[in-house]
Amino acid sequence: MNDTALKPQTQDIVVDQVLPHTPATIWKTLTTSELMGRWLMVPTGFEPVKGKQFTFQTTPAGAWDGVIHLQVLDVAPNERLVYSWKGGHETNADYGSRLDTVVTWTLTPVAGGTRLRLVHSGFVIRRNDAAFQKMSEGWKHVVQHIDTLSGELH
Amino acid sequence: MPETAAINAVMRTLADPTRRAVFERIVGSEEITVAELTRGSGVTQGAISQHLKSLKQAGLVAERPAGRNVFYRAEPNGLAPLVDWMSLYGVFWRERFIRLRTLLKEIDP
Repeated sequence: MNDTALKPQTQDIVVDQVLPHTPATIWKTLTTSELMGRWLMVPTGFEPVKGKQFTFQTTPAGAWDGVIHLQVLDVAPNERLVYSWKGGHETNADYGSRLDTVVTWTLTPVAGGTRLRLVHSGFVIRRNDAAFQKMSEGWKHVVQHIDTLSGELH
Repeated sequence: MPETAAINAVMRTLADPTRRAVFERIVGSEEITVAELTRGSGVTQGAISQHLKSLKQAGLVAERPAGRNVFYRAEPNGLAPLVDWMSLYGVFWRERFIRLRTLLKEIDP
Protein backbone atom coordinates (compact mmCIF):
# COMPACT_ATOMS: atom_id res chain seq x y z
CA MET A 1 0.00 0.00 0.00
CA ASN A 2 1.32 3.45 -0.85
CA ASP A 3 0.18 7.05 -0.60
CA THR A 4 -1.61 7.08 -3.92
CA ALA A 5 -3.67 4.09 -2.82
CA LEU A 6 -4.86 5.94 0.29
CA LYS A 7 -5.35 9.38 -1.22
CA PRO A 8 -8.91 10.07 -2.30
CA GLN A 9 -9.19 10.18 -6.08
CA THR A 10 -11.68 12.43 -7.76
CA GLN A 11 -13.67 11.89 -10.88
CA ASP A 12 -15.33 14.31 -13.27
CA ILE A 13 -18.60 14.14 -15.12
CA VAL A 14 -18.43 15.64 -18.59
CA VAL A 15 -21.26 16.42 -20.98
CA ASP A 16 -20.22 18.07 -24.22
CA GLN A 17 -22.77 18.92 -26.90
CA VAL A 18 -23.20 21.26 -29.86
CA LEU A 19 -26.42 23.26 -29.63
CA PRO A 20 -27.86 25.14 -32.65
CA HIS A 21 -27.93 28.53 -30.89
CA THR A 22 -25.54 31.44 -30.36
CA PRO A 23 -23.34 31.61 -27.25
CA ALA A 24 -25.28 34.73 -26.17
CA THR A 25 -28.61 32.87 -26.22
CA ILE A 26 -27.22 29.89 -24.33
CA TRP A 27 -25.51 32.24 -21.86
CA LYS A 28 -28.96 33.67 -21.01
CA THR A 29 -30.28 30.22 -20.12
CA LEU A 30 -27.26 29.62 -17.87
CA THR A 31 -27.37 32.97 -16.08
CA THR A 32 -31.00 34.15 -15.85
CA SER A 33 -32.77 32.88 -12.73
CA GLU A 34 -36.13 32.56 -14.47
CA LEU A 35 -34.64 30.58 -17.39
CA MET A 36 -32.42 28.46 -15.10
CA GLY A 37 -35.57 27.46 -13.25
CA ARG A 38 -37.09 26.17 -16.48
CA TRP A 39 -34.39 23.61 -17.30
CA LEU A 40 -32.03 23.21 -14.33
CA MET A 41 -33.48 24.12 -10.94
CA VAL A 42 -34.96 27.31 -9.49
CA PRO A 43 -32.06 29.20 -7.93
CA THR A 44 -32.40 31.38 -4.85
CA GLY A 45 -30.16 34.44 -4.80
CA PHE A 46 -28.37 33.80 -8.08
CA GLU A 47 -26.61 36.58 -9.98
CA PRO A 48 -23.84 36.05 -12.55
CA VAL A 49 -21.39 37.93 -10.37
CA LYS A 50 -18.14 36.51 -9.03
CA GLY A 51 -18.42 35.70 -5.32
CA LYS A 52 -22.24 35.60 -5.34
CA GLN A 53 -23.72 32.80 -3.21
CA PHE A 54 -26.96 31.04 -4.08
CA THR A 55 -28.86 27.81 -3.39
CA PHE A 56 -30.92 25.10 -5.04
CA GLN A 57 -33.56 23.26 -3.04
CA THR A 58 -33.66 19.55 -3.83
CA THR A 59 -35.18 16.51 -2.14
CA PRO A 60 -33.88 16.06 1.43
CA ALA A 61 -32.19 12.78 2.37
CA GLY A 62 -31.50 11.65 5.93
CA ALA A 63 -29.55 14.28 7.83
CA TRP A 64 -29.32 16.50 4.74
CA ASP A 65 -31.95 19.21 4.21
CA GLY A 66 -31.63 18.92 0.44
CA VAL A 67 -30.11 22.38 -0.01
CA ILE A 68 -27.26 22.69 -2.46
CA HIS A 69 -24.98 25.62 -1.63
CA LEU A 70 -23.31 27.30 -4.57
CA GLN A 71 -20.96 30.20 -5.12
CA VAL A 72 -20.01 31.84 -8.39
CA LEU A 73 -16.26 31.41 -8.82
CA ASP A 74 -15.73 32.83 -12.29
CA VAL A 75 -17.77 34.68 -14.92
CA ALA A 76 -16.68 35.46 -18.48
CA PRO A 77 -19.86 36.49 -20.34
CA ASN A 78 -20.79 34.19 -23.24
CA GLU A 79 -17.67 32.08 -22.59
CA ARG A 80 -17.33 30.61 -19.14
CA LEU A 81 -19.26 30.24 -15.90
CA VAL A 82 -17.89 28.43 -12.87
CA TYR A 83 -19.60 27.74 -9.55
CA SER A 84 -18.93 25.55 -6.55
CA TRP A 85 -21.61 22.97 -5.76
CA LYS A 86 -21.74 21.71 -2.18
CA GLY A 87 -24.28 19.69 -0.26
CA GLY A 88 -25.18 16.35 1.19
CA HIS A 89 -24.19 14.74 4.45
CA GLU A 90 -21.48 12.32 5.58
CA THR A 91 -24.08 9.85 6.85
CA ASN A 92 -25.66 9.38 3.43
CA ALA A 93 -24.48 6.97 0.79
CA ASP A 94 -25.37 7.43 -2.90
CA TYR A 95 -28.07 10.11 -3.11
CA GLY A 96 -27.45 12.88 -0.58
CA SER A 97 -23.87 11.87 0.15
CA ARG A 98 -21.34 14.60 0.95
CA LEU A 99 -20.46 16.67 -2.12
CA ASP A 100 -17.77 19.31 -2.49
CA THR A 101 -17.66 19.83 -6.23
CA VAL A 102 -17.23 22.44 -8.94
CA VAL A 103 -19.34 23.00 -12.06
CA THR A 104 -17.69 24.61 -15.08
CA TRP A 105 -19.63 25.68 -18.17
CA THR A 106 -17.64 26.51 -21.30
CA LEU A 107 -19.19 27.97 -24.46
CA THR A 108 -17.30 27.86 -27.75
CA PRO A 109 -18.73 29.14 -31.04
CA VAL A 110 -18.64 26.43 -33.73
CA ALA A 111 -20.14 26.07 -37.20
CA GLY A 112 -23.92 25.86 -36.77
CA GLY A 113 -24.02 26.86 -33.15
CA THR A 114 -22.19 26.57 -29.88
CA ARG A 115 -20.28 23.80 -28.22
CA LEU A 116 -21.52 23.70 -24.63
CA ARG A 117 -19.28 21.74 -22.30
CA LEU A 118 -20.18 20.93 -18.73
CA VAL A 119 -17.53 19.60 -16.37
CA HIS A 120 -18.77 18.67 -12.90
CA SER A 121 -15.59 17.86 -11.03
CA GLY A 122 -14.52 16.66 -7.60
CA PHE A 123 -16.52 13.48 -7.05
CA VAL A 124 -14.46 11.54 -4.53
CA ILE A 125 -13.76 7.89 -5.06
CA ARG A 126 -12.46 6.38 -1.86
CA ARG A 127 -9.45 4.24 -2.57
CA ASN A 128 -8.63 1.79 0.17
CA ASP A 129 -8.43 -1.96 0.12
CA ALA A 130 -12.04 -2.49 1.17
CA ALA A 131 -13.27 -0.05 -1.45
CA PHE A 132 -11.21 -1.75 -4.11
CA GLN A 133 -12.68 -5.09 -3.11
CA LYS A 134 -16.16 -3.66 -3.28
CA MET A 135 -15.40 -2.13 -6.63
CA SER A 136 -14.35 -5.46 -8.13
CA GLU A 137 -17.66 -6.90 -6.95
CA GLY A 138 -19.37 -3.84 -8.36
CA TRP A 139 -17.66 -4.46 -11.66
CA LYS A 140 -19.12 -7.92 -11.94
CA HIS A 141 -22.52 -6.49 -11.14
CA VAL A 142 -22.09 -3.79 -13.77
CA VAL A 143 -20.89 -6.27 -16.33
CA GLN A 144 -24.02 -8.38 -15.85
CA HIS A 145 -26.09 -5.39 -16.87
CA ILE A 146 -24.15 -4.63 -20.03
CA ASP A 147 -26.55 -6.57 -22.24
CA THR A 148 -29.44 -4.35 -21.21
CA LEU A 149 -27.37 -1.20 -21.45
CA SER A 150 -25.89 -1.97 -24.81
CA GLY A 151 -29.42 -2.31 -26.15
CA GLU A 152 -29.59 1.47 -25.92
CA LEU A 153 -26.67 1.86 -28.34
CA HIS A 154 -27.53 2.41 -31.95
CA MET B 1 -17.48 13.77 -28.24
CA PRO B 2 -14.67 11.70 -26.73
CA GLU B 3 -16.64 10.76 -23.60
CA THR B 4 -19.41 9.19 -25.65
CA ALA B 5 -16.83 7.36 -27.74
CA ALA B 6 -15.32 5.88 -24.58
CA ILE B 7 -18.71 4.69 -23.30
CA ASN B 8 -19.56 3.18 -26.70
CA ALA B 9 -16.22 1.37 -26.82
CA VAL B 10 -16.70 -0.15 -23.38
CA MET B 11 -20.28 -1.22 -24.06
CA ARG B 12 -19.59 -2.63 -27.53
CA THR B 13 -16.64 -4.57 -26.18
CA LEU B 14 -18.57 -6.07 -23.29
CA ALA B 15 -21.73 -6.74 -25.30
CA ASP B 16 -20.13 -9.97 -26.60
CA PRO B 17 -20.87 -12.73 -24.05
CA THR B 18 -17.61 -14.63 -24.64
CA ARG B 19 -15.53 -11.50 -24.35
CA ARG B 20 -17.45 -10.54 -21.25
CA ALA B 21 -16.69 -13.93 -19.72
CA VAL B 22 -12.98 -13.39 -20.48
CA PHE B 23 -13.14 -9.96 -18.84
CA GLU B 24 -14.90 -11.35 -15.77
CA ARG B 25 -12.17 -13.97 -15.35
CA ILE B 26 -9.50 -11.28 -15.60
CA VAL B 27 -11.32 -9.13 -13.04
CA GLY B 28 -11.60 -12.17 -10.79
CA SER B 29 -7.88 -12.91 -10.85
CA GLU B 30 -4.97 -10.69 -9.99
CA GLU B 31 -3.06 -11.54 -13.18
CA ILE B 32 -3.69 -14.22 -15.76
CA THR B 33 -2.07 -15.55 -18.94
CA VAL B 34 -3.66 -16.38 -22.30
CA ALA B 35 -3.04 -20.08 -21.67
CA GLU B 36 -4.83 -19.94 -18.33
CA LEU B 37 -7.72 -18.01 -19.86
CA THR B 38 -8.01 -20.54 -22.68
CA ARG B 39 -8.13 -23.53 -20.33
CA GLY B 40 -11.74 -24.54 -19.82
CA SER B 41 -13.08 -21.65 -21.90
CA GLY B 42 -14.28 -23.81 -24.77
CA VAL B 43 -12.66 -21.52 -27.36
CA THR B 44 -9.23 -21.49 -28.99
CA GLN B 45 -6.24 -19.55 -27.74
CA GLY B 46 -6.41 -17.50 -30.95
CA ALA B 47 -9.97 -16.47 -30.16
CA ILE B 48 -8.99 -15.53 -26.59
CA SER B 49 -6.13 -13.43 -27.99
CA GLN B 50 -8.56 -11.57 -30.26
CA HIS B 51 -10.84 -10.84 -27.30
CA LEU B 52 -7.87 -9.63 -25.26
CA LYS B 53 -6.94 -7.30 -28.09
CA SER B 54 -10.44 -5.78 -28.09
CA LEU B 55 -10.43 -5.48 -24.28
CA LYS B 56 -7.06 -3.74 -24.41
CA GLN B 57 -8.28 -1.32 -27.12
CA ALA B 58 -11.30 -0.41 -24.99
CA GLY B 59 -8.97 0.32 -22.08
CA LEU B 60 -10.42 -2.47 -19.95
CA VAL B 61 -7.34 -4.63 -19.69
CA ALA B 62 -3.62 -3.98 -19.26
CA GLU B 63 -0.77 -6.36 -20.05
CA ARG B 64 2.59 -7.06 -18.48
CA PRO B 65 5.09 -9.06 -20.53
CA ALA B 66 7.41 -11.24 -18.41
CA GLY B 67 9.82 -13.47 -20.30
CA ARG B 68 7.83 -15.73 -22.61
CA ASN B 69 4.57 -14.98 -20.85
CA VAL B 70 2.22 -12.03 -20.97
CA PHE B 71 0.14 -11.40 -17.88
CA TYR B 72 -3.21 -9.67 -18.18
CA ARG B 73 -4.98 -7.73 -15.47
CA ALA B 74 -8.06 -5.49 -15.26
CA GLU B 75 -7.39 -1.80 -15.83
CA PRO B 76 -8.71 -0.11 -12.64
CA ASN B 77 -10.16 2.87 -14.51
CA GLY B 78 -11.45 0.86 -17.44
CA LEU B 79 -15.08 1.00 -16.45
CA ALA B 80 -14.93 4.64 -15.38
CA PRO B 81 -16.74 5.96 -18.50
CA LEU B 82 -19.58 3.55 -17.81
CA VAL B 83 -19.73 4.32 -14.10
CA ASP B 84 -19.78 8.03 -14.96
CA TRP B 85 -22.58 7.47 -17.47
CA MET B 86 -24.66 5.59 -14.91
CA SER B 87 -23.88 7.73 -11.90
CA LEU B 88 -26.51 9.93 -10.32
CA TYR B 89 -25.06 13.18 -11.66
CA GLY B 90 -24.15 11.67 -15.02
CA VAL B 91 -27.83 10.87 -15.53
CA PHE B 92 -28.89 14.18 -13.97
CA TRP B 93 -26.84 16.34 -16.32
CA ARG B 94 -27.74 14.43 -19.48
CA GLU B 95 -31.40 14.84 -18.60
CA ARG B 96 -30.88 18.57 -17.95
CA PHE B 97 -29.22 18.97 -21.36
CA ILE B 98 -32.36 17.54 -22.98
CA ARG B 99 -34.47 20.08 -21.08
CA LEU B 100 -32.09 22.87 -22.04
CA ARG B 101 -32.41 21.95 -25.72
CA THR B 102 -36.21 22.09 -25.44
CA LEU B 103 -36.11 25.47 -23.70
CA LEU B 104 -33.70 26.91 -26.29
CA LYS B 105 -36.00 25.76 -29.08
CA GLU B 106 -38.84 27.65 -27.38
CA ILE B 107 -37.02 30.92 -26.81
CA ASP B 108 -34.91 30.86 -29.99
CA PRO B 109 -36.81 28.89 -32.66
